[in-house]
Amino acid sequence: MLKNFASLVVAAGAFAAVSAHALEVDPKLKDYKKSAGVEGALKSVGSDTLNNLMTLWAEGFGKEYPSVRIEIEGKGSGTAPPAMIGGTAQFGPMSRPMKSGEVDDFEKKYGYKPTALRVAVDSLAVFVNKDNPIKCLSLTQVDAIFSRARKKGGKEDIKTWGQLGLTGEWASKPISLYGRNSASGTYGYFKEVAMGDGDYKDSVKEQPGSSAVVQGIASDKFAIGYSGEGYKTADVRTVPLSAKDGATCYEANAENAYAGDYPITRFLYIYMNAKPGAKPEPLRAEFVKYVLSKQGQMGVIKDGFYPIPSAIAVQDLKVLGLE
Amino acid sequence: MSAMADTIHMPAETSAMSTATVRRTDMRSRGEPALWSLGGALAIGIIMILGFLALVFSNGVATFIPKPIIVVTGIDGTVTAGEPFRSELFKPTAEELAALSPEWQARIKDANGYANRTLYRLGNFDIYGEDFRWVPDFAVAKFEQPKNLIFVERAEWGPFVGTVKSFTIDGAEQAFTGLGATAFEKAHADARDRAAAIRKLERGQIGAVNHELEQERLKVRKVEISAGKTSAAYKAAQDNLAEVSVDLQRRYDAATADVTKLREVDARNTLTLAEIGGREKTIPFSALVRAYAANDLSLAQKVGVYFSRWAEFLSDEPREANTEGGVFPAIFGTAAMTLLMVLVVAPFGILTALYLREYAKQGRLVAFVRISVNNLAGVPSIVYGVFGLGFFAYVLGGSIDALFYPERLPNPTFGTGGLLWSALTLSLLTVPVVIVATEEALAAVPRSMREGSLACGASKWQTIRYIVLPRAMPGVMTGIILAMARGAGEVAPLMLVGVVKLAPELPIDGFFPYVHLERSFMHLGFHIFDVGFQSRNAEAGKPMVFVTTVLLIALVTLVNATAIIVRSRLKKRFAGSQF
Repeated sequence: MLKNFASLVVAAGAFAAVSAHALEVDPKLKDYKKSAGVEGALKSVGSDTLNNLMTLWAEGFGKEYPSVRIEIEGKGSGTAPPAMIGGTAQFGPMSRPMKSGEVDDFEKKYGYKPTALRVAVDSLAVFVNKDNPIKCLSLTQVDAIFSRARKKGGKEDIKTWGQLGLTGEWASKPISLYGRNSASGTYGYFKEVAMGDGDYKDSVKEQPGSSAVVQGIASDKFAIGYSGEGYKTADVRTVPLSAKDGATCYEANAENAYAGDYPITRFLYIYMNAKPGAKPEPLRAEFVKYVLSKQGQMGVIKDGFYPIPSAIAVQDLKVLGLE
Repeated sequence: MSAMADTIHMPAETSAMSTATVRRTDMRSRGEPALWSLGGALAIGIIMILGFLALVFSNGVATFIPKPIIVVTGIDGTVTAGEPFRSELFKPTAEELAALSPEWQARIKDANGYANRTLYRLGNFDIYGEDFRWVPDFAVAKFEQPKNLIFVERAEWGPFVGTVKSFTIDGAEQAFTGLGATAFEKAHADARDRAAAIRKLERGQIGAVNHELEQERLKVRKVEISAGKTSAAYKAAQDNLAEVSVDLQRRYDAATADVTKLREVDARNTLTLAEIGGREKTIPFSALVRAYAANDLSLAQKVGVYFSRWAEFLSDEPREANTEGGVFPAIFGTAAMTLLMVLVVAPFGILTALYLREYAKQGRLVAFVRISVNNLAGVPSIVYGVFGLGFFAYVLGGSIDALFYPERLPNPTFGTGGLLWSALTLSLLTVPVVIVATEEALAAVPRSMREGSLACGASKWQTIRYIVLPRAMPGVMTGIILAMARGAGEVAPLMLVGVVKLAPELPIDGFFPYVHLERSFMHLGFHIFDVGFQSRNAEAGKPMVFVTTVLLIALVTLVNATAIIVRSRLKKRFAGSQF
């Protein structure tokens, strides 16, 4: 992951058009141009984090090719690999990279590895209720809050807000934990990066969707939870995070994500079944081109994620033999 | 309830022991305690249902009412404009309190440390990067409701709150005089017509060309599979494809040229909006769904906006990842799936019950079958979903694909969730209800009637067909109504066998074979789950959840009411002809 991310930092170096408010796409990204004779049905099965984004892309793509049928199913990243191996879906959006076991299963069936496209950048945010005064958390603290293993070296189990330095009515209140269900890529990614692969506490309330986590926190004053930054509402706030105790805290925003400062930033992927050396057929190729175009990346902003820099788009298109 | 009984006993116990005992027995024998508990249970049930309906309806029905736009000027000079969404009390922090004027400090202290704040829906997500904002009362210098502010519903990026700066017709800039101005209304109507024309061209002509081209390609692939790549037939098929392609390409180019021309006109008709802070945004006129001056609406205009929103909701396709626009595909999908399910479940259920009741020899085996059927009704619905996916979609569908659609593989046709598999899965789920109800209805037909019929020389089948079944029909209808109600509201198994978040393409369209049972579809129940738990903007999605729930309840009620009317007609028809 970190190696992966170095490429983002380099690529984003050239493109720093990030203001505090509205994001903009990399002006170097290509405009999408429609081509003739694209018809058929596409099916996507996978991440629910990417569910809305896939829908927005499908809507945009459908405007270019009105007769293309796109069906989208999003019940968690874990559902993507089986659907791709079984051939029931052409695209497998995932909010985490495929595990080596999943790649192996795919390779056993088709003889080559699935192709991963990096389609958006997402910061996982740690959310608290809007009235929560907490200023900053380190990943070590986050680990001690969510994990029973404390692999990041936290000294004690953190159970109350007082242990995080809050005073007044907060001090004695227990922390109420919200998280995703285990089929979710967000669940897996947070576990890996924020908790050093330690197990979650049993008291984490597992929610069926990214937005459900935020809604839970909105209605529970003493809650904390993790979800994509794009799902933020007026009822919750994101807590700035630092990688280690005592290090600088960074807000979850695009600027910090591109600079590589915010510690839990990830790529979102679309996996596809592409034979090495052979171009994918027009329908899938055009969809990929659309996703990695200026128009497609506008959709990324609309859904609350961060667009990818053009260098990465070019790289991924090259892998598929597309320009 | 026991307290009630005690107060009644009191005078009896004070008078004489013996009478008290008598009275107590009296109470029990009259069933007083049972009556109270039964009545209480009923009352609680009714209150809960009414409460639920009131909650859903009050939220759902109010969603589309246009709200005023309030401009809030903060004491720090910030200006916010938006629809007030809801307010709540909260406890400001010590730092916030310290920064306040003594007057406000005293007011908050009087209120036990609580202050009020209001959530405003700002719109303009593309400019602000947020949709909603909380504004505490103590941070406000003044509220205003300027009449020139306009609430604009756009095809993309959600609503816009602000003013109309200017608009262009065919590239020429026009001064904006008001939403009701003829020039503005005409430009909007023209833009809408244009958008409809583009859609028609794309869906109709271009869609047809693409469809035909795909069919031709599949033909070639079919020949390739059956005869091989080197055969003469393959060569011929490919030549044919090349030939047809030229013609199709010509038609495609013509239609695309028309669309491009319309799009160019579209780009020359724009609308420039300005938000409260002065930042501007230019959108094509065709992206304007609806605009109204929120603070300057007459009652008639309000009603107009309200109903036009309902009309859009009922008849349009969803926009913006299902959070806006309508739910027509979901309504259609729910209705189509339920009807298809009834078509399957009714004959199966009735035939099974007929055999079990009329023909089968009543013994251990039949008793065992009956118990099994009853048990089926208790299996969790998700188990049916897993079965449907594994058996119908993968095994049955996979075989159908391999036999009849090899040219489309690896893209599955029937080998994945779809309308047909969903209907079949739900039929399995609801068939026990129909069987049990039909059996009861058959058993209720008086023996004397069957005997009379048989005595007149009718065969067993004739007796069943002309005497037993018609009289059992009302009971059978009850079973089917129950099955439909259960089927229309079920979501969990459908998520596995064919319901998807987005499938604006209906299962019925103008391309052969017109009815596409293999297609995935949208469902109101799943739509509720999706908008409620999966959409980016949870706050904006909430009202849509209520509206969709109202719609689903209305739909189920409508279906049930129809079936009940049919049943009562049937009952009346046979009421006079009984002994």
